[in-house]
Amino acid sequence: MVNKVTRKKHYRPPGQKKEGNAARYVTRSQAVKQLQIGLPLFRKLCIYKGVFPREPKKKVKGNHHTYYHLKDISFLHHEPLLEKCREIRAYEKKIKKADAKKNKERANFLIERRPTYLSGLLRIIKERYPKFIDALRDLDDCLSLVHLFAALPAQERLKVEAKRIHECRRLSHEWQAFISRTHKLRKVFISVKGIYYQAEVEGQKITWLAPHALHQILTDDVDLTVILNFMDFYEKLLAHVNKHLFNSINLEYPPILDPRLEALAADFYALLRFFDANTRTSLLNPQTSSSSQFGQVDAEDSELRLAQLQHQLPLNEPTALMHLVEDASGMDEDEDEDTRECKKLFKNMKFFLSREVHRESLLFIIPAFGGMVSWEGDGAPFKESEKTITHQIVDRSTQTHKFLSRDYVQPQWVFDCVNNRIILPTEDYLVGRDPPPHLSPFVDNDAEGYVPDYAVTLNKLKADAKNEILPLPGVGKEDLDDPQKLLDAGVIDRAKAIEAAEMKQKMMALEKEYHDELKLELQGGKYSSAISNVDKQLPDQEKEGGEDTNLPDYQQMAEDTDKLSKVMMSRKKKSLYEAMQIGKRTKKGKIDLLHERKKKHKESHKSQ
Amino acid sequence: MDNVNAGDDHHNLENDKDQENCDDNPLPDQGEEESDSSEDEVAPRNTVGDVPLEWYRDEKHIGYDISGKKILKKEREDRLQSFLASADDSKSWRKVYDEYNDEIIELSKEEVRQLRRLLKGKAPHADFDPHAPYVDWFKWDDAKHPLSNAPEPKRRFIRSKWEAKKVVRLVRAIRNGHIKFDKPKEEQQFHDLWGDDSSTTEKTSHLSYIPAPKPKLPGHDESYNPSLEYIPTQEEINSYQLMYEEDRPKFIPRRFTSMRSVPAYDNALKDAFERCLDLYLCPRVRKKRINIDPESLKPKLPNRKDLRPYPTTCYLEYRGHKDAVMSISTEANGQWIASGSLDGTVRIWEVETGRCLKVLELGEPVKYVAWNPRPDLPILAAAAGADVLLLNTGLGDGEVQAKIKEVLHVDKLPVTENSDKTPAATWLQDDKTGGIRLRHFKSVSAVEWHRKGDYLSTLSKKLTQKIPFKLHGLPVSSVFHPTQSILFVSTKKEVRVYNLLKQKLLKKLKTGLREVSSIAVHPAGDNVIVGSREGKLCWFDMDLSSEPYKILRCHPKDITNVAFHRSRPLFASCSDDGTAYVFHGMVYSDLTQNPLITPLEILRGHKTVNGRGVMDCKFHPMQPWLFTAGADSVIKLYCH
Repeated sequence: MVNKVTRKKHYRPPGQKKEGNAARYVTRSQAVKQLQIGLPLFRKLCIYKGVFPREPKKKVKGNHHTYYHLKDISFLHHEPLLEKCREIRAYEKKIKKADAKKNKERANFLIERRPTYLSGLLRIIKERYPKFIDALRDLDDCLSLVHLFAALPAQERLKVEAKRIHECRRLSHEWQAFISRTHKLRKVFISVKGIYYQAEVEGQKITWLAPHALHQILTDDVDLTVILNFMDFYEKLLAHVNKHLFNSINLEYPPILDPRLEALAADFYALLRFFDANTRTSLLNPQTSSSSQFGQVDAEDSELRLAQLQHQLPLNEPTALMHLVEDASGMDEDEDEDTRECKKLFKNMKFFLSREVHRESLLFIIPAFGGMVSWEGDGAPFKESEKTITHQIVDRSTQTHKFLSRDYVQPQWVFDCVNNRIILPTEDYLVGRDPPPHLSPFVDNDAEGYVPDYAVTLNKLKADAKNEILPLPGVGKEDLDDPQKLLDAGVIDRAKAIEAAEMKQKMMALEKEYHDELKLELQGGKYSSAISNVDKQLPDQEKEGGEDTNLPDYQQMAEDTDKLSKVMMSRKKKSLYEAMQIGKRTKKGKIDLLHERKKKHKESHKSQ
Repeated sequence: MDNVNAGDDHHNLENDKDQENCDDNPLPDQGEEESDSSEDEVAPRNTVGDVPLEWYRDEKHIGYDISGKKILKKEREDRLQSFLASADDSKSWRKVYDEYNDEIIELSKEEVRQLRRLLKGKAPHADFDPHAPYVDWFKWDDAKHPLSNAPEPKRRFIRSKWEAKKVVRLVRAIRNGHIKFDKPKEEQQFHDLWGDDSSTTEKTSHLSYIPAPKPKLPGHDESYNPSLEYIPTQEEINSYQLMYEEDRPKFIPRRFTSMRSVPAYDNALKDAFERCLDLYLCPRVRKKRINIDPESLKPKLPNRKDLRPYPTTCYLEYRGHKDAVMSISTEANGQWIASGSLDGTVRIWEVETGRCLKVLELGEPVKYVAWNPRPDLPILAAAAGADVLLLNTGLGDGEVQAKIKEVLHVDKLPVTENSDKTPAATWLQDDKTGGIRLRHFKSVSAVEWHRKGDYLSTLSKKLTQKIPFKLHGLPVSSVFHPTQSILFVSTKKEVRVYNLLKQKLLKKLKTGLREVSSIAVHPAGDNVIVGSREGKLCWFDMDLSSEPYKILRCHPKDITNVAFHRSRPLFASCSDDGTAYVFHGMVYSDLTQNPLITPLEILRGHKTVNGRGVMDCKFHPMQPWLFTAGADSVIKLYCH
């Protein structure tokens, strides 16, 4: 009776403005219409500008739409690149017309002078990443994609141009050279998908995946235009990030490489040489200016000249190179402890890579941790017959010719050493043996709840190594056990001593707690694991009750307390709690599965 | 010998050549053009006629001669022989089988050359010059008159205007730099975009940027050489096939004993593509990740030790009933309890010893028993079938007995002090037990005494006690206010509160439950608890609102009864799942403070029979003890 005239649910009189989510969000088709562009161009712009759909609290148009914020769309609307894209489209039409009219000359003329939106992209990079650290934060995907493209085969048919592949190779090498040179690499991991690297630049952890150096296949189920749009942006981004990084260590960008090494496809090594040569000059330049009044000018000059002539040096002159590397390592003072530790890992070690070893990754990793490396082939810094080589990395089942002075290890040894920051014993990794399992350095075993056997042995080895190192002076670690002695020695001031003492106390307290818990666990037997801390409040009473009935059903009691506390929870919290319990259970299920498999393996091993 | 290169056209041509060769005239005259007419001149040697040869493909003859006789095909060599012959014969490549004439022709060198030229699209004869200088047949020199008499036009003598325009345009374009002759530079310029970070401190007015979540870092199982326990067995891998597409693990760990044996990853590009799609197509929302200990979600309850005493353990069991005990009731002094069972008996027990004092056979299943709350009048009301019996229990001394007898005497005309005038119920004297029988029309489900024991409310399937109010729906349970003359009647959905003096509806309590089963009032009278068949317990604070102050979801099955302790802050609920919950429910006299509700204990011990568990629970009037009656025909006493 009251509402005979059916009104729209959200009725708004004509002429009145929309409010709320209806005014703030537009669907994609609305956005495309508003911008007066096609969907492909819209996608491209979204990729370049980093515009992404958002999830409004209330979806006005329905659930099956993508919603963009109106501000994002107006942001695209005012983008000069949009105008540029229209211009390019008009230009393409001109070329087409010239072609159609058989005016070859004009067509060529136009094709040569095609406009690009390069400058627009630079502006966008600056806009999206106003600070360098922002760019570093978003660099993960960029690096992974660039490394993937560096391994792809060029196929003009699919618009994967050889030029782009070369560019990607160059960029990835430059990035790796920087990381390696500044010893910023932290973790490496060989997975089935490729090799994961994690570096720490300016406090940002950057992880990327480089595929194995094998032939990649371009499949049909991938829309390459999307990836290529991303590549357009990422190439520019990485180039400018590299530029900034190179400049930060006083290097020119783009680097000028030794053409001979480049021709030998040892461009990564060429880059490293470029680094060494240039850092030396930059290092020496201020010195020469300051000390020119003194009599050392000649010596300095000659050294400088030597460095500058680095390009012209004979290729296989290890002594000169070693000299340079050593010198360069002494120059950076403002390094954190991690970097210093990384730099020292492979110090005074010389590696030689056999022919079959995956060269690129090891050439990157070993220098990043302070080692020296060479390989079999032209342009290598030293030969296999070099006496001072300590480790030769071999990836074959047998090695016929062996030098006694060096260890023949499998490549995994390097990766495991790097991840654990210690030099592992080489016995397990020798040629022809099945290496121990390769564990991911990205997993927190304790949080995961399952510690693989090899992780335990690695931890033991690490602890042993630390015990050896700790007593050494000047390592930078505080000796917690005896702050007073240090105070006496005047190594640290009073505040530090107090701090150390406090820390020690804390540690002791924690330890005690842990022991108490252990004891409790031993006494409590099976029920302690099930009973939550709520239960501790009334242990006496419950135990009495248990004695009365002669059946101490602790499991039941734990359940009861759990239920009782659940009764008082609000519905929201209860559902959250239950969801958490489900999560816990699935996690536990996974761990149990692992334990079970392990048990089975052990049994089968025994029976054999 | 079939030569594939030679088509039908060539055959004819070759034939011609053959003819010419026979004439020993290898170089045909240039003037004598090889016209089509030459073809007509040469008589075809076969007499088959102009008939498609495929007509005779499967026949032995090739056609008919002029006299109508069959022309037989030549016997063909078999393939092997012909192949051998061709292998031996160095000239076999220039031999062509002429199907029309049924013979093999050997091409001469010149003919092959000609063929080649033809294939290239040139004139067949080498010395034919297609671009020979033009010989004008018209003699211009001594002509008297020109061919045209028109005067020479002006444009032959002046510059072209359009060409001049074009030149001017080009010159201008060059001068203005529209046309550049040097090619645009390929090299890109690198600027240090973040050269001075200080200048970019101003905030952009854009929306907040939500960074894309980083891809998940690989675990141990993605290693090329994981520990053995990470590799699923073949059975497990097979079982993945039975899973739903989205549940199926995308990645199956494998083990390679050396790095060189690791193959290229097939899905590298696909993974990258999916990541790209996620980056620009997935809606992004900032979500707070809850990283809390689940235990911290539990509310902070007061320590249960401080809330003692409350019933915790089963102290006594009263056995004797043969069927489910439906109802129990404690005497006002707390010395006796009465129980009614489906076996048709009412039993009276001594609380402290568990001795059965009396068994009263009523003949019909007893649904409800209730003691008169007055300690000096130990009358028991029991609901059995359609009757309510007021029974003399025979307790107390002679004085008390006399009083009871007086009370339980019914005059011929049923006008007594008990209850309102109820034409729905008839008052009869029950001779067998010496009590009063109230006969209703339908079976009675509950009986409730007023606090002074003067009034009695009974509930049957049809409303029997005469209340002058309209109830929406069937009454489920009713209870008197402990201090005022107020009656709470609950229907399935709501609780109605009536003032009996003014005879009007005071309040409706909206439970929001599906089906109310029981109701109890706090001794102070301001708080009501309501139990429901879906296992929820609602606490109403009547001063606060008509909606529940707290809903406790405690039982997984129907709540059969709820009870308040008369003096202590305790209440209990019992349910068909065989458990009873004891709660601490403190009501403060200060109106600003909300009641404090704490669950204390779950009491177990009753067995479920036919899906029914604990049927009734009652507190001892003085002690913090709880009696529970179970469908397993046992009554239990829980003490602290």
